[in-house]
Amino acid sequence: MSQSQPVWWASESLWRKVAIWVTGGSLVALIFLTFDTMAYIKAGGINVPAYSIINKRVGYEFNEEHNRYEPVIGPDEPLFGKMLSEEEAKELVSKGKLNVQAKNCMGCHTLMGNGSYYAPDLTKSWLDPAWGSKEIREDQMVAFIMDPSDKLHNGLGRKMPRLGITEEEARATVAFLKWMSAINTMGFPHNFKAIDQSDPEPSASATVVETVDVMDTGGAADNAPAQQ
Amino acid sequence: MATLGVFDTANLNGGQKLAIKYFSVALALFGAQVLFGMFAAFQYIAPDFLYEVLDFSVNRTVHVNALVVWLLYGFLGGVYWILEDEAGVPVVGLGLANLIFWILTLAVVIVVLVYILVQVGPADIKSIWLIMEGREYIEAPRWADIGIVVSVLVFFFNVAATFSKGKYTGIGGVLVLDLLALFGLYLAGMFYTPNVSVDQFWWWWVIHMWVEATWEVIVGCIMAYMLIQTLGVRRKIVETWLYIEVAMLFGSGILGLGHHYFWIGTPQYWLAIGGFFSALEPVPLVAMVVHAVFDSGVHKLKSNNHPALAWTIAQAAGNLFGAGVWGFMHTLPQINLYTHGTQWTTSHGHLAFYGAYATAVIAFFYLAAQKSRGNVWMSGGLVGDWKWKWALAFQWIGMLAMVMALLIAGYEQSQVERAMEGATWMGYFAGQSHPWFIQGMNWRMVGGWFFSLGYVLLVWDILTIGKRETRPSQVLAPAAH
Amino acid sequence: MRRNITKVGTSMIQPVELANFFAVFFSAASVILFGTAYALLFAWSRVRGRPGLMPLAYLAYACLFASVLVLGFTANLFVNGFWTSIVLLMLVGYLVAPHGIWHLCVQTHEQEHEDEGTSVKVYQQR
Repeated sequence: MSQSQPVWWASESLWRKVAIWVTGGSLVALIFLTFDTMAYIKAGGINVPAYSIINKRVGYEFNEEHNRYEPVIGPDEPLFGKMLSEEEAKELVSKGKLNVQAKNCMGCHTLMGNGSYYAPDLTKSWLDPAWGSKEIREDQMVAFIMDPSDKLHNGLGRKMPRLGITEEEARATVAFLKWMSAINTMGFPHNFKAIDQSDPEPSASATVVETVDVMDTGGAADNAPAQQ
Repeated sequence: MATLGVFDTANLNGGQKLAIKYFSVALALFGAQVLFGMFAAFQYIAPDFLYEVLDFSVNRTVHVNALVVWLLYGFLGGVYWILEDEAGVPVVGLGLANLIFWILTLAVVIVVLVYILVQVGPADIKSIWLIMEGREYIEAPRWADIGIVVSVLVFFFNVAATFSKGKYTGIGGVLVLDLLALFGLYLAGMFYTPNVSVDQFWWWWVIHMWVEATWEVIVGCIMAYMLIQTLGVRRKIVETWLYIEVAMLFGSGILGLGHHYFWIGTPQYWLAIGGFFSALEPVPLVAMVVHAVFDSGVHKLKSNNHPALAWTIAQAAGNLFGAGVWGFMHTLPQINLYTHGTQWTTSHGHLAFYGAYATAVIAFFYLAAQKSRGNVWMSGGLVGDWKWKWALAFQWIGMLAMVMALLIAGYEQSQVERAMEGATWMGYFAGQSHPWFIQGMNWRMVGGWFFSLGYVLLVWDILTIGKRETRPSQVLAPAAH
Repeated sequence: MRRNITKVGTSMIQPVELANFFAVFFSAASVILFGTAYALLFAWSRVRGRPGLMPLAYLAYACLFASVLVLGFTANLFVNGFWTSIVLLMLVGYLVAPHGIWHLCVQTHEQEHEDEGTSVKVYQQR
C-alpha cells in the first residue's frame, strides 16, 4: 500500500493549525470588540443612558442627519413627579428589571426584539400612543401592569394574565421601561410614532432646557442632541 | 450473547449504557417540547385556553427549555456513545457519570415543575435564584445553573480523562476543546445586571455560541465518528475535514455573533460585522454540498442502518434550508430591522433547530437502537419499516406546514406591524388580526398535529424497531479502498 | 464630547422600502438556492465525469449573479462602499468556493486513491 502525503495545502497538520488560528484570532477580535462595545452599552455610556434619565422627558424621533429614529432627551419630567439621584434611579430601574425577569415577561413579550411574540415589543412601550396622553400615562401603566385582565386588548381576546404584581413593583417596572426607551437601538423599531409629549404652551419647554448632561459618566448626551 | 433483536444492555459498553439513559430522557423531553408547543400554538387561536392556569409564557418557556435540554441530552449521550471506541479504553469515572446523570435529571424535573406550578416570583433576586431567571432559553434559576455547571464539569472530566488515559484522536482533541468552550460560555449567562443591553449582550454569547458554533462542532465530531465506524472512511481524511469544518464554522460563527448585535444598544459597527459574516455563513454549506457529492461519487455510500441514513440526509437538507435559506432571507440589517422579533424568527427558529439538530439526534437514536438490539438488520425490507418511514414523513410534513404558515404570518407582520405601523401596541394588534396572520396560526396548528403524530410514531418505532427481525446487520463490503 | 457624535454617526444602512420586501426575501433565498444548485451541478459534473453538466452549473451561477444584484438594489446595498464590497465579495466568493472545495476534496482524498487505481482518478482531471 503506497501512501503519499497530500499537497501541503490539503494536509491534516495545516488545517489543524488553520482551525486553531482562525478560532483564536476570531476570539481575540471578539474580546477586543467586547471591551469597545462596553463603552457604548454601560449605563451612562454612548448608547445607553444613565438611570437618572428617568428624571427627563424621553422622546423618539427621526433624526434626519443620522438617517434613523433615535431617542431624544428633553427637559426635566421626573417619573411619578419625583426627582431621583443616580443611585435611587438605579435602584428603582433594577427593581423593575428584576420584576421583568421574575415575571418572565420575555415569555410573551420581546425586549429590543428578543423574547417571544405573543404580545407587543416593549422597547418603546413607554412612548406608546395607546396610553392616551402623557398626563395619564404613568397611572395607566401602573394600573395595567397590576391588573391587565379587564383592560382593552384590541378584541383579539388575548389577555395579559394577573401576575400578582404589587404597586411598588409596577412603578419600578414603569421606571425600567422608561429607561429602556432612552437606549439608542440604532433605529429599531423603525417608523414608531411616539405619544405626543409636547407641552400645551410651547413657550414653556424652550426655557427649561439648559442641560443635557444627565448621561453624566460618558458625556453621551451628544448622542441625542435634539431637544423637544 | 444476547438474542438478536432483543434490547439488551449486554450489547453495549459502559459509556453506551449511560448514553441509552441520556437518549431516553431526551426522547421524553422531546415529547414535552411537542406537547407544550401545541398548548402555546393553540393559545394563539383560543386565547382563553388555560388562561391564568398555564399561560402562554409558561408553555412557551417549557417548549424552548425542553428543546435546549433534550438536544443537550442527545449530545451528551452521543459523546458517551462514541467515547470508549474512540479513546480505546473504558470511560474513566463512569460511576460518577451515572450519579451525575440522575442528579441532573432530577434537577431538570424540579426546574420544570417549578416553571409549571410556581411560575413567577416577587421582584427580588431570590426569585432569580430559586424560581426563574426570565431570560429566553436560559430561564433556569441560578441554583440549577450551578448544578448544570457542576454536572458538566464531571462530564468534561469523563471525556478528558478517558482520552488522556487511552489515546487522543483528532476527534477527541476537537471534542474536548469544544466542550470546554461550550461550558465556559454558559458562565457568561450567570449573572444579574439591571442594564438590559449588557444583559442581552452576554446572553447572546451563550445562545449564539452554543447554537451557531459549539453545538455544530459537537455534531461534526459525532458525525465524523460515524463516518469512520459505519462507512470505513479513513481517519486521516475524516479528521482533516473535521479541522476544515471547525475553521469554517468558528471562522464564520464566532464573529457571526454580530448579527444579534444590531438593535440592542450596541454600536453600529456591529451592523457591518454582522452583515459581513452573514454573507460568509453559507460558505460551509456550499462546502458540505460539494464534499457530499464528491463522497457519494467516490464511495458509493452504503449504509446498514437505513433510518439513520434517512435522518442524516434529512439533517443535511434541514440545515441547508433552515439555517441557510431561512437565515439569509432576513439576516441583513436593512431587512432585519423589520423582521427581528416577528414570526419570521419563529419560522427560521423552527426549521433551523429541527433541521440542523433534532434530525441529527434522532439519527443517533437509531444507531443506538440498532446496537442495543445486537446489531440487528436495519436495511431494506426491515420488518415493520413503515413506522420509521411514516414517522419521518409526518414529522417533516408537519414541520414544513408549520414553517410555511409562520413564514406567511411573519411576512405580513413585518409589513403591517413593523414597516407601516412602526411596532406600536396598536400596530402589533393590527398585524396579529390580519387574515394572513390568523390563517397562518390555524395552519401552524394543523402542522402541529401532523408533527405530533410523527412524534408518537417515532417513539413507537424506536422502542420496537428490529424486534421481530432475525437477520443480523447487513455486512457492507469494505468501502472501496 | 463631540467625539460621541462621530462615534454614533450617520446610519450605515438604508432600510428596505416596503414595496421591495418581497424582492428582498425572494432574491436572498435565491442566492442560497442557486448557490447550492451551482455547487451541486459543478461537483456532480466533475465526479461523474460529465462535462455536459458544466454549462448548467454556470447557468445556476448566472442566476445567482442576478439574484445578488437584485438583492443589492432592493436592500439598498449600493448606497455605500462597504455594502457594495459585500456584494462583490459574494459574487466572487460563490464563484470560486466550489472550485476551491473541490480541489481540497481531491487532494485530501489523494492517499485513498493511491491504492485503488483507475476509476476515480479520471474524474479528478479538469
